[in-house]
Amino acid sequence: MLIGRLVGRDLRYRPSQAVLLLLAICAATTVLSLALDLHGVTQQPYQQTRTATRGPDVVAAFGPSALTMPHGPHGPLPGAAEAKLLAEEKALMSAPGVTGYSGPYPVASVIVRLGTVAAPLEAEGRREAPASLDQPKLIAGSWVRPDGIVLERTFAEALGARVGDRVSLDGRRYTVAGIAVTAASAPYPNLCFPPGGNCVFDLGMNCSGKPGTVLSCSAGGISGIPSDANIGLGWVTEPDARALASNAAPLAYLLNLKLKDPAAAPAFAAAHSNAQNNANLGPGSGGLTPWQSIAYNDGLLVQDEQQVLTPGAWLAGLLAIACVAVLAGGRMADQSRRVGLLKAVGGTPGLVGVVLMAENLALALLAAGLGLVAGWLAAPLITSPGAALVGAPGAPSMTAATVAEVVGVALVVALAATLAPAIRGARTSTVSALANAARPPRRRARLIAISRRLPVPLLLGVRLVARRPRRALLGAASVAVTMTGIVAVLTFHATADSRLGVSSALTNPVVTRDEQMLVVLTVALVALAVLNAIITAWATVLDTAGAAALARALGARRSHLTAAIAAAQLLPAIPGAILGVPLGLGLFAAANGGGAAATTIPSVAWLAPAVLATLIAVTGLTTIPAWAGARRPVTDVLAQET
Amino acid sequence: MNSGAEAMVRARGLRKEYGKDESLVRAVDRVDLDVAPGESLAVMGPSGCGKSTLLHLLGGLDRATAGELWLAGRRIDQMSERGMAALRRDAVGFVFQAFHLMDELTAAENVELPVLLAGRSPRTARRRAAELLDQVGLTDRARHLPTQLSGGQRQRVAIARALANRPQVVLADEPTGNLDSEATLDVLRLFERLHEAGQTLVIVTHDARIAATADRLISMRDGAFIDETRLTGGTSGQLGALLNLDG
Amino acid sequence: MQQEVVLALLAKEPSHGYQLRARLRQALGPLGDAMNDGQVYVTLTRLEKAGLVTSERTAGMPDRPDRKAYALTARGQQRVAEWLAEVSWPKPDLAEFHLKLLAAAAAGLADPVAIIDAQRRELLRRLRDAQRAAMAEPDGSEAALLLEGVVLRLQADLRWLEACERSWTGRKVRL
Repeated sequence: MLIGRLVGRDLRYRPSQAVLLLLAICAATTVLSLALDLHGVTQQPYQQTRTATRGPDVVAAFGPSALTMPHGPHGPLPGAAEAKLLAEEKALMSAPGVTGYSGPYPVASVIVRLGTVAAPLEAEGRREAPASLDQPKLIAGSWVRPDGIVLERTFAEALGARVGDRVSLDGRRYTVAGIAVTAASAPYPNLCFPPGGNCVFDLGMNCSGKPGTVLSCSAGGISGIPSDANIGLGWVTEPDARALASNAAPLAYLLNLKLKDPAAAPAFAAAHSNAQNNANLGPGSGGLTPWQSIAYNDGLLVQDEQQVLTPGAWLAGLLAIACVAVLAGGRMADQSRRVGLLKAVGGTPGLVGVVLMAENLALALLAAGLGLVAGWLAAPLITSPGAALVGAPGAPSMTAATVAEVVGVALVVALAATLAPAIRGARTSTVSALANAARPPRRRARLIAISRRLPVPLLLGVRLVARRPRRALLGAASVAVTMTGIVAVLTFHATADSRLGVSSALTNPVVTRDEQMLVVLTVALVALAVLNAIITAWATVLDTAGAAALARALGARRSHLTAAIAAAQLLPAIPGAILGVPLGLGLFAAANGGGAAATTIPSVAWLAPAVLATLIAVTGLTTIPAWAGARRPVTDVLAQET
Repeated sequence: MNSGAEAMVRARGLRKEYGKDESLVRAVDRVDLDVAPGESLAVMGPSGCGKSTLLHLLGGLDRATAGELWLAGRRIDQMSERGMAALRRDAVGFVFQAFHLMDELTAAENVELPVLLAGRSPRTARRRAAELLDQVGLTDRARHLPTQLSGGQRQRVAIARALANRPQVVLADEPTGNLDSEATLDVLRLFERLHEAGQTLVIVTHDARIAATADRLISMRDGAFIDETRLTGGTSGQLGALLNLDG
Repeated sequence: MQQEVVLALLAKEPSHGYQLRARLRQALGPLGDAMNDGQVYVTLTRLEKAGLVTSERTAGMPDRPDRKAYALTARGQQRVAEWLAEVSWPKPDLAEFHLKLLAAAAAGLADPVAIIDAQRRELLRRLRDAQRAAMAEPDGSEAALLLEGVVLRLQADLRWLEACERSWTGRKVRL
C-alpha cells in the first residue's frame, strides 16, 4: 500500500528519530503494563494458595484473655476454663453451615531471635500429620518436628532465616525445619491487621495504625524488640507450643472452619463473633475472620504498590507525550515538504494527515508491544520476593484488557502529540509547503530588548527561547514532571523511614517491594527525562540551525552558540524544576491517601541537590547535540536555508 | 593600484576540494589574488565555477584545503575558529544573495546585531544602526520586520548590517540575484557610493551591470581564473558611439 | 541622423536650424555630445531636395543653414504620420559578429574566443560609462530613460557574448 511504502521509506531515511520515538513510548508503556499486570495479581494467587493449602473459610481465634487465670501454672488450661473453651469451640464447630473444621490449635506468643535480630512471633502448634483444613504448603524444608519450627515465608525472608538456621524461641533452641505459605493468615507484616488480621499475640501489645497502612504493634518493654516491630507467624509441634506458653503469655487457640457456602463467610463471622471476648487484645486480634478479609489484607500489599505505580505511570505517560510532541513538531519542518509533494501529486488533505500520523502510530504500536512484553517480564521480579503466595513466580497473566489498555494508551500518546502538527500540515497550502515554509519564529519584542544588555551567549540564548515559546513551555513542563517524580520518590523514602523506624533490623517486605518498584519507576522516569532533554535539544538545534549559522557568519563564536542553546534549554528548566518540588510533595500526599499529615517532607539536603542535579543534567544533555550542530560548516547550513 | 600599499586581500595557491579520488571536486583550484585597499573587484563566471566558494574562503566562512590567505594583513588560512569568528565580526562584512535577515527582528535590530555580538553597549549599537539605515535610505523602515519589506529594501538592510562594524572588506555574493531591476539599481547606487567612499569590495555576480561598477573584473571557470579586465577609464566622449546617429 | 526624426521635430511648428539642433541635444543628453553638428543640416538639405521640407531665409540673417527657417510640406507631414505609425524595431547587428567569428575560425586568422573576450571588454566598458551617465542624470530627465535603455541592451548583448564564449570554448575543446 502506498502509505506503507511512504512510511517505510521515511523511517529508513531517519532511523534515529524513529528509535527515539520508540524509546519514549516504550518507557511509558512498560510502566503502564507493569502497573496493570500487578493489578491482576491480587486475587489469583491467593486463590491458588487457598486451593493448595485447603484454606479455611473462617478462622476463629480464642484469645488468652478469655482464659486468664489469676494464678496458676503455665501452659495447659485449668479444667473449668478449658471446659468453657471447649464448649465455645463445639458451638462453632456444630453451627449451621459448617461442614468441617481443623484444630483447635494452641498458639504461643514468643520472641524469636536469629543471631542479633529479634522479633515477636506467633507459634502455632500442629500435628505432624497433615490437617484436613489449612495445611500450610511447604516451599522449603520439611514439616514440624520436635525442636523444629516452620516459618511463614514472608516472615522468614524478613528475618533472613533459611532452613537449618538455629533460632531461639524465648531462649529455647530450635532449628528452622521449613518454610511454608498459608491462606489462613495474611502474610507478614499484615498479620494483625484489620479486617483480615487475626493474630492473638499478647505481650502487652499495643497496635495502632489506620486502615490502608501497615499496622505497627509495639511490644512494650521487651528488651531487644524494637517498639515498632511487626509480628510473624510460625508452626511448631503441639507439645512444643504448649511448652512455650507462660504465665505472662498464656496460650491462645485457633480454629479453622469450612462452610457449606464459602461466599457466606463474612455473614457467618459477623453472626458469631459477639460470642468472643477479646476486648483487651487490641484491634483486630482474635474473633472470627472470614477468608475474604484475609484475601483483602493480602491484596493490600499489592495495593500499596499500585499507589506507587499508578501515579508513576501517569508521570511516565506525560513525559512520553512531551517527548513525542517535540519529536513530531521537530519533524514537521521536514514533513511539510513531503506534505507539499503529496498534495501536489493529488493527495487529499485526508491522505496527507493519514500518512503523517501513520508513521507515529506504527511506532506507537511497536512500542506498545515492546512495553507489554517488558512489563510482563518485569512484573514477577516485583511480586515474587516477599509474595507469600503460591503461584506468583509464574508470570502474572496478561489479560486482553491489559493489552487493550496499553495499546490504547500508546496510540493516544502518539495521536495526541502528532495531531496538531498533522492538522497544520494538512491545512498548509501546497505552495508554501513545497517552499518548505516552516513555521516562522515568533517575535517577542520585550525579550529581544532585554537580551540586548546580556553577554553574548545569554543574548543569543534568550532570543532562541523567544523564538519558540511553546517549545520552551514544553521543556519547562517536562522538567517539572521529572522533578515531580524524583521529589515523590524522595518523599516516599523520608516518610517510610520515619514511619517504620529506620532502626528496625527486620526488613519490611512491603517497604522493600515499594522501594524496588520505585527504583523501576525512577529509572523509567529518568530515562524518559533524559530522552526528553536530548529530543528537545536536537529539535532546538535543528530548528535554530539557520539562525545559528547566520550568527556565526556575523562573527559569533561556536562556543557561544553552544552555550546559547544550552541556556535556551536551561532557562525554562529552572522554573520547571522549582515547580516540581511542591508538585512532587502533593503527588505523594495524594497517592498516599494520608494527606499532608502522613507525609514527611524530605530535607533540603536532599531536595536542593536533586534540583541542581536535574538542572545540570539538562544543561549537559543539551550541550552534546548543540556542540555537534555547531560543527556543521556555516555555508552548508546557509545554503539550505534559502 | 599596485606596490607600496599592502594588499587588503591576498591569496596564493588557494584551493578548496571536496570528496576524494574519483569523486574529487576542485571548487577552487590554485587561485592567486591580490585586492588593493579601496579597490572594487567583480568575479564573474558560470554556475558552479567556484566563485561563491572563493568568496566564502575569503570571508572566513569556510576553510581552504590548501594555500595561503591574508586578509587585512592577517594570515587567516591557519587561524583558529575563534580567530575566524572575530574576523567575520570585525574585518569582513558579508552580503548574501538570499539576504539572510532574521525574520523575527526588525530592520534596526538586524543591523545592530553584529555590534552587539562584538560586545558593544546597546546604546552604541542602536546609534550605529540608525546611522547605517540612514545611509542606505531606510530610516523610515527601521521598525519594520523583513516580511514587511520588499526584496530591494531587505538587501539594503543586509548591506547596512554588513557595514555595522566598519569592516575592512565587504564581500557580496550575488547581491542582486533575487532582485528586480529597480531594486538592482538601488543596490547599484549603494555599491557605487561605498566604492567612492573607499570601501574595498569583492562582488561575485552574474549581472553585468553590477560587474560594470567594479574597477577590475575577473572571470572564473572550473575553479580557476581565466581572464582579468580593468574597467577603469572611459569618458563620456565615447558615449556617442553607443548610438547609431548616422544614416 | 534619421531623416524621419528631423521631419518629426518640425511637425509641431517650423523651426530654425539651430533650434532643431538644440532640441536634439536636449533629448539625447550626454549621448548627444558626440553628435556632429553638421549632420542635422546635411539631413535638412536632403529633405529639402526630396521635397519633404521647405526652407525660408529669415530677413536680416545670413544665408546659412542654421539660420534658415524650415517647415514641413504636405508630403512631409504625410511621411511623419506614416513614420509614427510604423512598428519596425531597429535590428541589432548580431549577424555581423557571428560571421566574424566563423570567418576567423575557418581561416585560422584569430582565436574566436579572444575576439569574443575583446568584444566583451569593450561592451563592459561601455556599459560602465552608460550606467555612470544614467546615475548622474537628475531625476526625471528624459535622457535618463534613454540611458537605461542603452544599459539594458548592452546587458542583453553581454549575455549573448557569454553564451558565445561558452559555445566557442566548447568547440575549441572538442577540436
